[in-house]
Amino acid sequence: MIVIMKVNASKQAIDKVQQEIEKLTYTAHLVEGATRAVIGVLGTKPLRGKQHLQALPEVSEVLEISTPYKLASREWQPKDTIVQVGPARIGGDNVSIIAGPCSIESYEQMKEVGEAVKIAGGHLIRGGAFKPRTSPYSFQGLGVEGLKIIKQVSQEVGLPSVVEVTDTETLAVTAEYTDMLQIGTRNMQNFTLIKEAARTGLPILLKRGMSATINETILAAEYILNEGNNQVVLCERGIRTFVDHTRNTLDVSAIPAFHRLSHLPVIVDPSHAAGKRHKVLPLSLAGVAAGAQGVMIEVHPNPEVALSDGPQQLVPEDFKELVERVRLVAKAVGKDLD
Amino acid sequence: MLVIMKVSASQEAINRVQQEIENLNYTAHLSEGETRTVIGVLGTKPLRGKQHLQALPEVADVLEISTPYKLASREWKPQDTVVKIGNARIGGNGVSVIAGPCSIESYEQMKEVGVAVKAAGGHLLRGGAFKPRTSPYSFQGLGVEGLKIIKQVSQEVGLPSVVEVTDTETLEVTAEYTDMLQIGTRNMQNFTLLKAAARTGLPVLLKRGMSATVKETILAAEYILNEGNEDLVLCERGIRTFVDHTRNTLDVSAIPAFHRLTHLPVIVDPSHAAGKRHKVLPLALAGVAAGAQGAMVEVHPNPEVALSDGPQQLVPADFKDLVDRIRLVAEAVGKKLY
Repeated sequence: MIVIMKVNASKQAIDKVQQEIEKLTYTAHLVEGATRAVIGVLGTKPLRGKQHLQALPEVSEVLEISTPYKLASREWQPKDTIVQVGPARIGGDNVSIIAGPCSIESYEQMKEVGEAVKIAGGHLIRGGAFKPRTSPYSFQGLGVEGLKIIKQVSQEVGLPSVVEVTDTETLAVTAEYTDMLQIGTRNMQNFTLIKEAARTGLPILLKRGMSATINETILAAEYILNEGNNQVVLCERGIRTFVDHTRNTLDVSAIPAFHRLSHLPVIVDPSHAAGKRHKVLPLSLAGVAAGAQGVMIEVHPNPEVALSDGPQQLVPEDFKELVERVRLVAKAVGKDLD
Repeated sequence: MLVIMKVSASQEAINRVQQEIENLNYTAHLSEGETRTVIGVLGTKPLRGKQHLQALPEVADVLEISTPYKLASREWKPQDTVVKIGNARIGGNGVSVIAGPCSIESYEQMKEVGVAVKAAGGHLLRGGAFKPRTSPYSFQGLGVEGLKIIKQVSQEVGLPSVVEVTDTETLEVTAEYTDMLQIGTRNMQNFTLLKAAARTGLPVLLKRGMSATVKETILAAEYILNEGNEDLVLCERGIRTFVDHTRNTLDVSAIPAFHRLTHLPVIVDPSHAAGKRHKVLPLALAGVAAGAQGAMVEVHPNPEVALSDGPQQLVPADFKDLVDRIRLVAEAVGKKLY
């Protein structure tokens, strides 16, 4: 960190900052300019005390120089992390396809989608059992019954599953029935939940909060890594902007930003960003072209009767076409689906 | 339009709305629900009077059903517009690359870039002569001298040029020296400038305002079409969001949105969205993968001494690599480089 003092700060204030830096067991390095003093905070320990230093008298600003996360950083681990979920591998030069309905609605529905995903070349199936819906009057999911259905279908079609966990109360039962836990956008900073999810030992799919910065997202991942679980996949799913032609704005530039700062795999969820079916394909291709190592797509055999998010779910036939086109773009950027 | 009355609106208020609709030369169509009345506004004339109807007593909301633009719409012209600029084309199934320095700094600089753009397979040259810089203390451009330089280089390397026009005072001289006029993001709703630029008869590159919706952008384009100038290209260049890892957020989803609503070509400017060199390539590829018909990229022979936007400008060697990779992604989505 660098502490920037106010113009013409008193000697007393500068001394105080130096003392406080040393109390934090860092080394203070003073640089006196013509009108301002700047004090470097040196040390190898993880960044802390920023807010404390900012609050001291005559301090103008405290700048971070190094990243506040360690285990998630590229400096810590230059090589891409590959996350193994059953037979599926997410990360590196692979492009993985995760697909399934927004909500698990019945065995028949899940089975039909699971088979379609398998045939089209998908790698994991998804499905929601406990749904965090905006309105309390919307369908809230089948709960444990849904978990049982996706586990059965997962075994029958031979694809591992990923299911969102929405609270610590349902964590143990969800972990029992699925191969990978998803932390949704609304829970990215539910630190109690993400730490407990990490401790199950299952791979974690961490969605970026819809108003989280890159730094905040990587720090959320750091919580999971810090629990000893390094099987984390980040997911860009769109951010809240003023835009009214999509539900959220897929921040494609987050993909190269994550790759530069972190070794963790990054996938995109174009379905939730688009909110509408016709934008799912172009956003999938854009994500892969920008370097995403996977896409997560909502697929429903009959979207017009879906119990949630009908307008953004693809029918199996359109999903199959999407996989073929994702494959072409993946190859154009030096990656592949298998 | 649909006028939605408040719950239990009075007969008097309903009658008043019907009268006003007829005063606007539309036909009113009344639907009485259990608690609310909805009045349809029917007619083939362009949409107007929305705000007037909204202001009437006991009106809850006025919804637009049809688009408020006509000449720019897909309904008006289903087939893609292809804009010709000298020997270059933008639109349809081709992908065009526009490149050049942020600012024209000297003949030598512009010539070196021009030769590199031509050699790499670029289609148009860009360069700023009058620069709209955020700070009044930043380099403001070479002005008319810059225009003369880009015209000379354009002729010497055999590529048409596009130059931003920032005000009506310099419109005429800019139009004299360039093949296509760019309207920058800050001027998207400078309607006086838009109309005057349209009347030069030159093709226009209209950048989306950094906080403009898709609809507002198409309405700005409608101003130009309404002057009888149909040679118009839209450019997505990033929107203002909370994100701090890029200067602006490239709204890739705007590309399919524009294509659905309008016949005009759409290109992306990844340089201004990224603000940093290493994000230019992934964003350019993402744009083309999402259906963009071109990319506009800033190139400088020596970015570290550039007089503006150094951190986002590519060196010629990286630009050549970018063109080659755009070609691969264009082919993967069924397009080709012109």
